[in-house]
Amino acid sequence: MKKQLIELRVNGESFELAVEPQKTLLEVVREDLGLTGAKEACGTGECGACTVLIDGKPILSCLTLAIEAQGKEITTIEGLAKAGELHPLQKAFIRYGAIQCGYCTSGMILNAKSILDENPKPSRDEILKGLEGNLCRCTGYNKILEAVMAASTGED
Amino acid sequence: MEELSYVGKSVPRKDGVEKATGRALYTVDMVLPGMLWGKILRSPYPHAKILRIDASRAERLPGVKAVITGKDTLGIKHGFVETPRYPPDQYPLAMDRVRYIGEEVAAVAAIDEYVAEEALNLIQVDYEELPAVFDPEEAMKPEAPEIHPSHPKVKEPYKNIGGKTESGWGNVEKGFDESYLVREDRFEGQLRTHCYMEPQATLASFDLSGKLNVWTSSQGPFIKRAKLATTLGLPFSNVRVLKAYVGGAYGGKIDLFSHEFCASLLSIKVQRPVKIVCTREEVFESARHGQPIFVELKTGVKKDGTLVAQQIRVVNNSGAYRGSGVVVIFLCWGFVMLCYRIPNLKYKGYSIYTNNPVRAPQRGHGAPNLRFAVESQMDTMAEELGIDPVEIRLKNARQKGDILPNEDSVRNCGLVECIERAAEATRFKEIYGKRKSQEGQRIRRGIGMGVSSYFSGSLIYPNTSAAIVKLNDDGTVSLLTGALDIGQGAETILCQIVAEELGVSMDDIRVVAADTETTPVDIGAWISGGAYVSGNAVKMAASDARRQLFEVAAQELEANPEDLIAKNREISVKGIPGRSISFTQAVASSISKRRGNPIIGQGHFRTMKDMPAHPSLATTKGRWSDNYAFDAQVAEVDVDMETGQVKLVKATTAHDCGFPINPLLVEGQIDGQVSMAQGHALWEEVLMKEGKTLTTSFLDYKIPCAKDLVESHYIDVITERYEKDTPYRTKEVGEGYVSGMVAAIANAVYDATGVRVKTFPILPEKILMGLKEKGDKPR
Repeated sequence: MKKQLIELRVNGESFELAVEPQKTLLEVVREDLGLTGAKEACGTGECGACTVLIDGKPILSCLTLAIEAQGKEITTIEGLAKAGELHPLQKAFIRYGAIQCGYCTSGMILNAKSILDENPKPSRDEILKGLEGNLCRCTGYNKILEAVMAASTGED
Repeated sequence: MEELSYVGKSVPRKDGVEKATGRALYTVDMVLPGMLWGKILRSPYPHAKILRIDASRAERLPGVKAVITGKDTLGIKHGFVETPRYPPDQYPLAMDRVRYIGEEVAAVAAIDEYVAEEALNLIQVDYEELPAVFDPEEAMKPEAPEIHPSHPKVKEPYKNIGGKTESGWGNVEKGFDESYLVREDRFEGQLRTHCYMEPQATLASFDLSGKLNVWTSSQGPFIKRAKLATTLGLPFSNVRVLKAYVGGAYGGKIDLFSHEFCASLLSIKVQRPVKIVCTREEVFESARHGQPIFVELKTGVKKDGTLVAQQIRVVNNSGAYRGSGVVVIFLCWGFVMLCYRIPNLKYKGYSIYTNNPVRAPQRGHGAPNLRFAVESQMDTMAEELGIDPVEIRLKNARQKGDILPNEDSVRNCGLVECIERAAEATRFKEIYGKRKSQEGQRIRRGIGMGVSSYFSGSLIYPNTSAAIVKLNDDGTVSLLTGALDIGQGAETILCQIVAEELGVSMDDIRVVAADTETTPVDIGAWISGGAYVSGNAVKMAASDARRQLFEVAAQELEANPEDLIAKNREISVKGIPGRSISFTQAVASSISKRRGNPIIGQGHFRTMKDMPAHPSLATTKGRWSDNYAFDAQVAEVDVDMETGQVKLVKATTAHDCGFPINPLLVEGQIDGQVSMAQGHALWEEVLMKEGKTLTTSFLDYKIPCAKDLVESHYIDVITERYEKDTPYRTKEVGEGYVSGMVAAIANAVYDATGVRVKTFPILPEKILMGLKEKGDKPR
């Protein structure tokens, strides 16, 4: 299909790109922008590994067309640390052992961020409900829950 | 004893920042200039002859650079096991026959995935369908279609026997005669699968010097190199397998997979990099799953619950090729005899070819199935004898210093303490057996225990791990190890050992890992020996570096090497503050005064140093492992008596892993295994119909999600210790703890409901059916 010229705002920067209209946002951030933190694990919206934030809300980038994301603020995992300082969630994930193979981590952290942005003091069940769509086969989610709880209490 | 600073501490993982920031590169992320995309054409039939393949239309499609079929290969077979008894039986690309739906028939390299996919549609394959068989018991019958000839050394008139393991001691018939109670039960495992989040993926790049460079999502580069080189007809040294981060494996990425071979051969053919990433559907349909096993178990016990005799028959449905089927029937023997003392035992295991996809190890490799069977039956017998589950286990448990029937010593065995402490921490005896008092309640609580044991490294290619620890000019350290971090934290614990031995911080250590060209050989992350074998190799390399540093420093400080200590990249004389030199100075001094020696420490380690090879898969004779881990696990479940739904509420794991090198990582391993056990015991199942996989997505095959989180408790039973300068013994923590937990869940369900489900998974309908059969009125 004929390529279209689009403008995306990703992690605070603007990019002008020529993309095929059927290309997903996941493909564009990974292949055109080289932001490979977002992962594909199923390609059909079942696992959450491709989660990125659009205007602060988590979306499945494998089910979102890149052309739909124009004019919106896209945040990928690469945009979370500011001026070399890790986001409190990133620190907590490392400190509490919430990362093993790491393949689900980007999506998990971004989704956790949206949960905390909406509700800075979520309950245990609210966190688990919020993370339901992000599959992790390594951790059993125990350490992930601990990390998000710790980040929500401002613990560093 | 000297206080440890790094080993035994919950140090955050070395690769944490890379992974938390999305910068860790996995195979799926790798891109090279000029890279092509590969796709694989798979068999639509479970069993068929390939009459003709016409790829000419595909080859003519613009954008297609190469098509390969079996004819383009050397026709060299490979197998998970390659021994004289069990020679390799699978072509990397089908030659004249396909034996399962999804078997690889052709592969295409094209400018992008869409063109490659389109090209697959243009390849014309003419098949002649053959009769197929899917069930192992059907496949064993004389009239079954033959997938492969039955193994020549197996005497029984069964068809399609891939392998057999036979073992035993004592006299089981006499044992049963002398028993007070004898029970026979059959337990069936299901087909479950790994669900690693990163799909199978490979990038191969053949360069003009004749070297093949490969990045692949795996569990260790050295076995991949060996099998790729062999099937491609290249010298081992012309194949370089490099490190990429691995998005989970759990046993599913060990030996050679066809996409790895195809990407490599295509790259050789077109002289450009070729990448193949399998879709999730392909992974479900045609990659290897776990081993579905059924167990026939006959056990005799004395009136007091003491085991007298046990007879076990195990049948494994190995799929269309041997895969790890002939290993799992050996291992099932092992997982029977490790936990309890059994005076008389008779074991037979069969691995059966069927027209299903090939099977691989999956976390526990047979142990979950075996422990489910043994522990379920043990609880049943205890109940019939009026003994509680804790007592019957204590009565039969392995003890410290026991010599196993294969002459392995369990040395330090904390099983008794595991059972006692797990029971105590969960108030097991108070909670257990309260079914009667819960009558009429919709939600009933049950508690159950399971014990298991797992080996910690064995001998299989490459049989050794080695390491290099080199000092840098600035006093920092570089560790070169062939070990691959697949999420378990290998790089982290190896750095903790270097830090401990050399007195440097974790941040002072750089790791170069898992590269067959630049790093020393390693056993890989699939034989449960990483912490023990690779860990000791690294320890030896680090202490070799320290010895060299101390020799230099002793000269500079005019002291004996024995009086020196290393801390914070400084070497000082014990008890004399101020008499010290930095690592930087020591390295400089070594270079100037020792003919340029920059200080490079080396180490290597092998388990069972006096054994030539792994034990016999056929007879179980020969030593199996240096160290065995033990555990007792307790599950607490809530069962909804109206719907049959089971909720695993709490999991307690008391385990003897020797000593934890990193308690935080050990906890993570336990949590992950509890979660896998939950899915395995309660709902996961790959459904197949006539060789066709029906569950091809995460919607069809549900794995535990965040809402399924289980409260997980840990009790460390420490039986070994780490001391500087001498090899240590520690035990595995990566796969043994699925098994006790699946068994504990089954026993807890029984405790709550009185229904003994003998087939996994324990689905609600099985519980409701059981309640109905028992005559329990529905609420």
